[in-house]
Amino acid sequence: MKILIVEDEIELLETIVSYLKNEDFICEKATTFFEAEDKLISFKYDIILLDITLPDGNGIDLLKLIKEESPTTGVLIVSAKDSLDDKLTGLDLGADDYITKPFHLAELNSRINSLIRRRKFAGDESIQFNEIKINPTSKTVTVNDKPIELTKKEYNLLLYFVTNKNKVLTKESIAEHLWGDNIEMADSFDFIYTHMGNLRKKMKKLGAPNYLQTMYGLGYKFAEK
Amino acid sequence: MLSGVMLYFVLTTVMNNRLDKKLLYNKEVIAKHFKYEYPLTIFEAGELTESENKMYPKDTIVYKDTLISHAIDDIEGAEEYEKYRQLTAYETLQGKRYKIITRNSLVRNQDFVLIITLSTIVIILLLLTGLWILNTQIAKNIWKPFYKNLDRLKNFSIQDQNPIQLEPSNVDEFKELNSSLKNLTNKLQSDFNSLKEFSENASHEMQTPLAIMQSKIELLLQSATVTKEQSGQLQSIYQAGQRLSKLNKTLLLLAKVENRQFSVQEEISLKELIERQLENYEDFIINKKLTVTTHLSDTRITTNAILADTLISNLLSNAIKHNIEKGTIDIMYDGEKFLFSNTGSILEQDPENLFNRFKKASTLKDSLGLGLAIVKKIADVNNWSIAYSYESKVHKISVLFKT
Repeated sequence: MKILIVEDEIELLETIVSYLKNEDFICEKATTFFEAEDKLISFKYDIILLDITLPDGNGIDLLKLIKEESPTTGVLIVSAKDSLDDKLTGLDLGADDYITKPFHLAELNSRINSLIRRRKFAGDESIQFNEIKINPTSKTVTVNDKPIELTKKEYNLLLYFVTNKNKVLTKESIAEHLWGDNIEMADSFDFIYTHMGNLRKKMKKLGAPNYLQTMYGLGYKFAEK
Repeated sequence: MLSGVMLYFVLTTVMNNRLDKKLLYNKEVIAKHFKYEYPLTIFEAGELTESENKMYPKDTIVYKDTLISHAIDDIEGAEEYEKYRQLTAYETLQGKRYKIITRNSLVRNQDFVLIITLSTIVIILLLLTGLWILNTQIAKNIWKPFYKNLDRLKNFSIQDQNPIQLEPSNVDEFKELNSSLKNLTNKLQSDFNSLKEFSENASHEMQTPLAIMQSKIELLLQSATVTKEQSGQLQSIYQAGQRLSKLNKTLLLLAKVENRQFSVQEEISLKELIERQLENYEDFIINKKLTVTTHLSDTRITTNAILADTLISNLLSNAIKHNIEKGTIDIMYDGEKFLFSNTGSILEQDPENLFNRFKKASTLKDSLGLGLAIVKKIADVNNWSIAYSYESKVHKISVLFKT
């Protein structure tokens, strides 16, 4: 998977690159409109992370170029402005998703993965992690080929963990992923704990080992021991 | 009126003075006749009484007003008293004492004075009424734009995007007042706008450094070499950053609502919105063992979808947060009015402050205190009226849609 990250804040750009690097992604960087334009014309990318506010141009114009050059490329807009106009224009012009700063790296990764699935496999590709198989289209999960009954929240939780496997996910990031970013309730961390407990139990029943690890109370990690 | 009375007295005095002079002159004429011994046949010359002689031993002149009766020609036997000005002079002429009386009728004079006085009063009264009518009419016309402008000033809102429209006036003072008011309100609006822009831009600019901070910490957490102690400290930094970024996002939302940046209107079903939010908050509702009842109409309203969603989410989160264990939430929507009722303990703060920023109940640490401020703002920009009441341990927040 080739990803082009267009972002003028070098620090943020580096952080995104190092988080995504470990996945099966090849990351290319562009910090200006000009640089991005140049790379877009010369190479083909699967996914483009696009910051709208660039020092020498508007990311929306790049979006038009991307759609002309390679319509199959998935575009995820990253912006500090979550103003509705930008969002609408972006999505109207063919952007696939929109994420606002500041975001959780895990959330960004999860969005990119979901975009790849939609783009590349039209959603048909299932996600495999050892004995766990997730089908994003039908939103069903099997463990050792036996179906497992999950609630909506448990399913979302499992998918989030599997796409961000081997990473520490903070409670804040999980809460935002499950309930949206306008949740303002301290209780939400307790619910994560409850849902995690239920998920563990259900998977254990079907013979899966416990992949969910608690990290010092700041978050959780989904990994093989 | 006063001038009428004064006029009467002045005229009477002047008339009397003239009459007195005339009487004196007449008396002198009579006295001369006696002096030069031309007996006047028409005059009866009687003797003076003793008492009179005693009373006026020297020559004396007395003026007085007197009433004398005389017959009226037309009617037999009828008498009428008339006022006379009379001069009585006691004088010694040719060694003999005489009393000379000359009189002149005052009736004509008095009538004259009375007529002048009355007509003057009438003229003055007419003049006064005329002036009054003229004055009120002019005042009405001159002050009309003033009162109109006063009304507009009362309805003036600093948040209006349009400059204030003032009624023009021909009066210089009002023109000056209007131009000063216009300058003042324009300055107010532009200052307010630049302040709003500033807070929005400031919030925007903060997003990127916050994003760097947050993602760097998340990256650091991935590192296997982080000790337990270090991760605890990282967690504190991370949570503070989270709080800051949440606060920033919320303030940005408030600023955007205020700046009316959510202008896209669409028809939305509040029922669907509420049901979706109830599902989203399910965990919180179950956790507090709350009973939720809904009476929702299918009526759609035209508004901005994001704002409507935020409004309902904030109201619901508020109703859950400030609820009691095993409490109830009742949501009613009948197409015009939207009523959120929830059980809960009485407010510790003044209900007046409920919709103000950062006026939160002190008991909840994790609340930003901006939820209801946003609700109020959203209602304001949509021209919906919002009200709060507390009755028998139930908080009620109602939103009245004016469609």
